[in-house]
Amino acid sequence: MTTEFTATLAQAGYPAAFQSITLAHYLFISGAMFSLGLIGFLTRRNLIIMFLCTELMFQAAGLALVAFSRFHMNMTGQSFVIFIVTVAAAEAAMALALVVLLFRRRESLDAEEWSELKG
Amino acid sequence: MDQIINPLALYAACGLGAVGVCLALPRKDGKNPQIVGALIASLAGAIVLLAMGLKAGGLLGFGNSPSVYFYIFGAVALGASLRVITHPRPVYAALYFVLSILATAGLFLILSAEFMAFALVIVYAGAILITYLFVIMLATQAPTEELENALADYDTQAREPIVATAAGFILLAVLTTLLFRGTVDLPSMKSSGGEALMAEMPRRIETALSNANKLPSGAHVVINDRNQANVDFAARKVEIRTASGETSLVDLPADLHVTNVEMVGFNLLRDHPGSIEIAGVILLMAMLGAVVLSRRQVQIDEDAKERRAQNLAAELAQGVETNP
Amino acid sequence: MTNLLSNFCLASAAPGAATLSPILLGPSEAQLILALPIIGLLFCTLCAIFRVKSKAPAFFTVACLAGAFALVVRLYLNKTGTPVITSGFEWFFLEWGDGKGQRLVANFSLYLDSLTILWMLFVTGLATLIALYASEYMAGDLGTGYCRFFAAFNLFVFSMSCLVMGDNLLLLFLGWEGVGLCSYLLIGYFYKKPSAVEAAKKAFIMNRIGDLGLLMGIGLTFVHFGSIEYRDIFHAAQPYIEAAKAGKYNEIPFLVQLIPVLLAIGAFGKSAQIPLYVWLPDAMEGPTPVSALIHAATMVTAGVYLVARMYPLFLLSEYALPLVAWVGALTALLAATIGMAQFDIKRIMAYSTVSQLGYMFAGLGGLSSTGAAFHVVTHAFFKALLFLACGAIMHGFAGQLDLRKLSGIRRLKGWGIVSFGMLVGCLNLSGFPFTSGFFSKDMLIGSEFLTPGMAPIGWILLFTAGLTAYYTFRVFFRVIVGPLHYEPGDELHSAHDEHGHGGENHNEHAHVQDDHQHHDHGHGGHFHPHAPGWAINTVLLTLSVLSLSASALNFLHLPNQPHIEGGIVPELVMESSAAYESPYARHEAHEGTGDGGHEGPDAHGTPSYVPTAIALDDPHAHAGTFLGWNPHAVMFYVSGAVGFIGIFVAFVLHYVGRTTAATAKADALLPMLGPIPGWAQHKWYVDEFYKYSIYWPLIILANLCNLFDKLIIDGIVRLFGAIPRWIGNTIRPTQSGELHGYAAGMAAGVAVLLFIVFILTLR
Repeated sequence: MTTEFTATLAQAGYPAAFQSITLAHYLFISGAMFSLGLIGFLTRRNLIIMFLCTELMFQAAGLALVAFSRFHMNMTGQSFVIFIVTVAAAEAAMALALVVLLFRRRESLDAEEWSELKG
Repeated sequence: MDQIINPLALYAACGLGAVGVCLALPRKDGKNPQIVGALIASLAGAIVLLAMGLKAGGLLGFGNSPSVYFYIFGAVALGASLRVITHPRPVYAALYFVLSILATAGLFLILSAEFMAFALVIVYAGAILITYLFVIMLATQAPTEELENALADYDTQAREPIVATAAGFILLAVLTTLLFRGTVDLPSMKSSGGEALMAEMPRRIETALSNANKLPSGAHVVINDRNQANVDFAARKVEIRTASGETSLVDLPADLHVTNVEMVGFNLLRDHPGSIEIAGVILLMAMLGAVVLSRRQVQIDEDAKERRAQNLAAELAQGVETNP
Repeated sequence: MTNLLSNFCLASAAPGAATLSPILLGPSEAQLILALPIIGLLFCTLCAIFRVKSKAPAFFTVACLAGAFALVVRLYLNKTGTPVITSGFEWFFLEWGDGKGQRLVANFSLYLDSLTILWMLFVTGLATLIALYASEYMAGDLGTGYCRFFAAFNLFVFSMSCLVMGDNLLLLFLGWEGVGLCSYLLIGYFYKKPSAVEAAKKAFIMNRIGDLGLLMGIGLTFVHFGSIEYRDIFHAAQPYIEAAKAGKYNEIPFLVQLIPVLLAIGAFGKSAQIPLYVWLPDAMEGPTPVSALIHAATMVTAGVYLVARMYPLFLLSEYALPLVAWVGALTALLAATIGMAQFDIKRIMAYSTVSQLGYMFAGLGGLSSTGAAFHVVTHAFFKALLFLACGAIMHGFAGQLDLRKLSGIRRLKGWGIVSFGMLVGCLNLSGFPFTSGFFSKDMLIGSEFLTPGMAPIGWILLFTAGLTAYYTFRVFFRVIVGPLHYEPGDELHSAHDEHGHGGENHNEHAHVQDDHQHHDHGHGGHFHPHAPGWAINTVLLTLSVLSLSASALNFLHLPNQPHIEGGIVPELVMESSAAYESPYARHEAHEGTGDGGHEGPDAHGTPSYVPTAIALDDPHAHAGTFLGWNPHAVMFYVSGAVGFIGIFVAFVLHYVGRTTAATAKADALLPMLGPIPGWAQHKWYVDEFYKYSIYWPLIILANLCNLFDKLIIDGIVRLFGAIPRWIGNTIRPTQSGELHGYAAGMAAGVAVLLFIVFILTLR
């Protein structure tokens, strides 16, 4: 982190504390969040929590996209996050509707109750 | 050799994190040292972040060190995420997810993506998570008297936690190994080229100039045939035309910047108009689908409907008579 | 032997009128001859559909066939002596280039030369008479069966007409297969009887073997002559004929010489010659009118017709005609020996037919196409007569055909015409002097002795003539004359039905016979044979007269047809592609020892048929003699004497002193011959030989192939089918159906993918 970069950031009106972060920092946070989401999806048996974990993974992906967008100074990354949020919203609506249906049928949210796809 | 962290150290940290997460996951007997696990996992995360900070800016401290806010938000985000996947009660998991979102929004702010940060809070925390909470409440058996705090079996017992955490952290290890091959600084916001959008907004320049009292009365910013203002970015000057018809260059106000919302807006609406439409259609379809799916399908014929209505009316009439 | 053959072949090179170019005409009334049986067929089919229970199909058929016969007669009266081709519709027209042999034309056109007319005369004439006979004979089967019978009958006449009248080999083949089909349908007419079905299949399959030869011959003809139309073939074969005339057989390609051999195989199949004769005796399972028309008079002469029609090609090969002659002679002898030992009169007639067909082939091979054709005509009459008489007996005695259980039928009231017809037929068959069979047979045997190298065949035929006379009159003396005795056949209690006796049945009958000995007359009292009606009697009488007067065909001709000396038949033959004048016959005429009419038309050939220069140069070197005499002159007496001897032996052994139906003097003599009569009765075990030499090896081979197919071929196919199934079964447990499983799979996939990237980017 060069001092002049810090100076320019300060000149741009950012507080001093918002300085000097590498791309890798964000990507680590993103990756760790994604892994946690994945682990949650694999271990939790409650359907709702499983979908919550997918939202977590969505969010991790969004974080990575915004970080890259900032890194490349390309706003398309941020635009893409809007679409991710859109898809997440649509998915949440559909998935939750399905969860309600499934719950009605078996009075349970256990994902292991549903194994009709067994080959 | 520009790796941020020694791979061995990274893998050790990943292993530590895996053990921590594994311990933190809920078990049936409830004797799982969840807090210990959480601490171990936090420790692992802290080690990695610490190592990254050391690499990026020397010792932890000031000057070249990365932002303190980043560490705060990152820690909160990861901690909340860990709680999301470990908390046995769905409602709390959802609330921790909100916390995670808020922390992520903070990270977005550090990345100067203000619009996305607020959009995330509004859409996720405000809309989606509320839906989740409703569904959680809908899809839970009514608690009985003596077992008010009883948890469902599938909430308290994780499924194959060791294998799952191993898989997750192997993924993370590979991912971070690739990510940490080199360290790259984030560039300055000045070089974003976002300032070029200034030319697209002659009215805004005009307003800013008049607010700063730099615009003579009756004068306007010159709009060329491409509907743009003639801005000299190097000298930060803009061409204006006075009421008498003369053109001249005027300094832009110092606080005039293109905001993130403007950049995202231009990108979104100028470059991806079709995608916006499609996103709208997807949302509409999802809404319709959700309505159709969750509608309770009761099939009763017309006679039954009529009978039921009559019964209801009779009951109501009776109630009215007896109650007073 | 080679020397003999070459001598013979040199001499045979004297093709006749085949070189006459035919006249091309548009459609003529000759096409109606084909149309009339088809109309009859349609009518019978309609009757079958509407379940008509009357004799309408029979009489309609008779009318149609009579019309066809009238048209043929008209054709004969109007003939000019030149072949006429009347073009019908286009049938096959394939063209795949401009060159020679790249154009296959086979139209539905008719080749009307005198040979065609000769064949059509007796085919349609006999078909008319036999249809009339069948109208009464089949009356017990009124209804759809009756319609089916006459439909097949019409189809047969149509097919036979195609065969005979077609102007190309493909049309001939169509007819060939058509008559084969009708034969199959009519043999298997009583399709509920296993033996009839077996016989039908046997006939069909045996014919297919011959048909393969014919088909290959047709193919080879097309390959070599570039056409399958007769006129083109005869035209294209002209250079080869010249070569054959000059005796230069080595100039004729081997494959061209192969054509007649292949065609002869087809003819052997259809005309029941060795080795494909075994189907014909079994074909007697069909109704008797069918036996008379198809399996005695017309269809089986299709092979003779084929050889006669393609005679110019047969002259091109060194080996074709000797092959035909030897096969014919051996068949004649073999069938006659079998016929002597049989007890079923219809079967005796069947073997007699095989034997007489052998005579015809021997005649063709012995360069006497006229004799062969004449024998075809006379045989058609008298053999049809014999079969119909047998059929009348069978009809009247409830299917009884065993000559040990029938005797003295002439003494019964109403059986006079049958007995007379039987006598006339037997006299003709045994070559009694001045019957038509006598003249035709003489002409054949005489030619054999005349042609060098053919004398052994002549002796065989002469010996066979004696056997023929014996077995023919054995039937006559046992069944027609003698003490009256009869037992009904096994169809007494069932519906009126045809029944041919299998060879196995005879032993059984013999056993039963012993029981019946004591109360012989008792049976006559219960069973009343019904005498034949007007239709059968009319036909029998007509055929008797025709058989007797057929000899006139050799001497008389219509006053307005003075083209060739000799009778109607020689004239017809000499104008056709079968025309061939033996150089030896000419030589005989030169010597002037011939005896008037008997020596035949060969002696007075018109100059256009003057044979080869070689033959002219040194005729004496080749002409054969009969023990030093002119064969034609002497054969008159010799064959008459042989016939008398045969009849006399039969008279002594089977008539003199016979008091019962079952036994005769001959039975006492049998032990002296050792096992030979038994062998003959079992048809020399030819069927068994075929069974063990061809049938069983084929069955074994087929089973082996089946095994190979099942194990190896199917195994490979199944293996390929099993691989995906095995893979699927192996992978299936991974599809747990649980969400987590799939998610874990996806995570593992991502990890693996990233790991690959990690390895690839490792520097």
